[in-house]
Amino acid sequence: MSETVLKVEGVTKVYTLGKRNVHALSNLNLQVKKGEFVAIMGPSGSGKTTLLNILGCIDKPTSGKVILDNVGVADLPEAELYKIRRNKIGFVFQSFNLLPYLNARENVELPMENNGKSKNERQSKAKELLAMVGLSGREEHRPQRLSAGEQQRVAIARALANDPAIILADEPTGNLDNKNKQEIVKLLANLNLTQGTTIILVTHDGQVASRTERILFLSDGKITREKNGLHLANKLMCPNCGNKLPTTEAKCPNCGSISNIKEPSNSLFEEEVAED
Amino acid sequence: MGVLSRAYRNISRRKIRALLVILALSFSMSILISIPAGITANQTATQNLTVNLSETIARTEASINQALTQIECSLTPSFEGFGFSPPPSGNFQRPENIADNFMPGQFGGGRVPGQFGGGPFGGRGNVAMNETLYTDIKSISGVAAVVPILEVSQGENQTIEMFGRSFTRMVPNYIIEGIPLTSLVDSYPILPTNITAGRNLQPGDSGVVLLSENNTRFFNAGVGDKIEILGQTFEVVGVYGSTGVSDVMTLYMNLTDAQTVTNNVGYITSLLVFTNDSSSVSDVAAALNSLHPELNVVTAQQRLDQLNDMRERYTAELQNAQTTLSQTQATALQEIVVVVAATSLIVLFVMLYTVRERTKEIGTLKAIGFSNRNILSQFVLEGIMLSAVAGVVGIAIGTIAAPFISSILIPTVNPIGNVVLRVGTGITPAVNVVTVDPQLMLMTFGASILLGMLGSLYPAWRASKIRPAEAMRYE
Repeated sequence: MSETVLKVEGVTKVYTLGKRNVHALSNLNLQVKKGEFVAIMGPSGSGKTTLLNILGCIDKPTSGKVILDNVGVADLPEAELYKIRRNKIGFVFQSFNLLPYLNARENVELPMENNGKSKNERQSKAKELLAMVGLSGREEHRPQRLSAGEQQRVAIARALANDPAIILADEPTGNLDNKNKQEIVKLLANLNLTQGTTIILVTHDGQVASRTERILFLSDGKITREKNGLHLANKLMCPNCGNKLPTTEAKCPNCGSISNIKEPSNSLFEEEVAED
Repeated sequence: MGVLSRAYRNISRRKIRALLVILALSFSMSILISIPAGITANQTATQNLTVNLSETIARTEASINQALTQIECSLTPSFEGFGFSPPPSGNFQRPENIADNFMPGQFGGGRVPGQFGGGPFGGRGNVAMNETLYTDIKSISGVAAVVPILEVSQGENQTIEMFGRSFTRMVPNYIIEGIPLTSLVDSYPILPTNITAGRNLQPGDSGVVLLSENNTRFFNAGVGDKIEILGQTFEVVGVYGSTGVSDVMTLYMNLTDAQTVTNNVGYITSLLVFTNDSSSVSDVAAALNSLHPELNVVTAQQRLDQLNDMRERYTAELQNAQTTLSQTQATALQEIVVVVAATSLIVLFVMLYTVRERTKEIGTLKAIGFSNRNILSQFVLEGIMLSAVAGVVGIAIGTIAAPFISSILIPTVNPIGNVVLRVGTGITPAVNVVTVDPQLMLMTFGASILLGMLGSLYPAWRASKIRPAEAMRYE
């Protein structure tokens, strides 16, 4: 088994609306392994965003434990939490949330700014990440000169800047047209396959969710159902023990045997796009 | 991409707003720099006034004390009050036998305000007296010496328009003082004592003059040079220094020379009578009065009394000036408080608006790992940057417009650049230009940074406390 990167135990979140208490999350349990690509689905008001905010350390649970990369974050003070957000979490937002007065490269550099990296290191890393999301040559463009899909790519590159343990994407395709939606999901799937990036994606779009490997259904603040997604088929299996190989590492983390790494297939997405 | 350039880009993003804010702030800053400049000018003016007056009084007192045995006789009141309010032009008596080529105003009316007369004792008589009529004074018991003096002003008539009427007065270029150059000048304090170049006049001198420093500029001549006075050539043998603040315009020469050159042979304008000792002064003065009732007789003691009156008046005026100054300072302080508050409030509201407008950005930055401190410093820096730019602009405006701005805000500063302290009629000594010195510029710049920080601290603190989860919902 791969190591667990995120563990949520009995998390409850209660909002007070006037005199009424609203249970956004009630006694929720969840585990995500390193290298997993997980979708959380649910109708509006099911607690998706609340869960993601708690996982992203920008909101705190009323009770329960959240263990991220072996650190219990639920009780950490703000003075510590921002470091967790900076170093362990990469956020991708529905409306991209790029700073309009900074160009693509500068936006990607932002999370690295307070991390002790030199200017040159930051710049080359930003360029590298932008190339990875397919934006080579557009580094110096400001967001208003980029398409919606390109802006979300910049946001994904920004989320990867500090090599986080987990990427949290809140409706990352919500503001995109169909073509761009497919592109972004493909990009995330590829990152998951080639870089081993752990991704949790919140969406109410079944098509998007189906592209992940594991789909969690959220209803009334609880995970009510779980099913496998199409992405699972893209994952490599260890020829020796049949375990999923989460990264491009040649060594199976389970049995230690050397495997032949196959290039991940993108055919799935291409088919899907063609289907529409 | 540092926090500094981000702050700069954010400000330059909304150019019109930034411009308006900077304009408003720089207006405040220009006021902030002008008020202290005006106050400093006021203070300097008052200080100058104080120094001038106290120096003059002390000097006059010392001279009078040196010559307690002296009595001055002339046909006009000889103590003209230190040159306060010049006698109106034409108000002079002109005996029939005075030569016709005398310009009106040559006798009398020739005092420049603040000039303190021709000599250290204030103005002497300016009305011509027939020398031969007063030879009997020497025979009064107790009189040690009688020194006849001729004082004639040379200058130009100047017409001043004031209150819709025109006044003519003579503005002297120099004043000729004829002194009998006999052994008397060695025994009595008649000639100036502080010779700065060449030598003093000596008994027997003729065709030579002793100039004041002011005279050397007018004649453009020094020791050894020849100058022309009313068509006659004189050699400059010495220059005496002005002892106080006033530029003495009097040049000294032999009485006979003076009488000849001014066409006043046989005439004098005053007599200095010296008694044997100071105790006999009042007896001699009484005898003088009865012998020549037409003469105005002033003793040194009377002068001292007059001086004391004068001193009281000056002290009152100075007190007035000080009161005005402290009132002005109080007003200025209130104005500064208002400006400081206004500046901080402008920054406060602008930054509050900015923070509100950028809630989502702040949420994003926090979500991607910016600390509260990062956010706080970002917004404080933007506030400082705005007001620092405004500070520079304001200092530039203030440096040019300080006299005008301070004249509006401080009642005793006039816009021509001078400070006018209304101290007694006729006194014009207290002028000082409102200037902005580098130290004040630096202080104002510092203040602009401080106010920017002050004004943006609360908005920035609020920004830092924004909870990212809530900010995300804010569209």
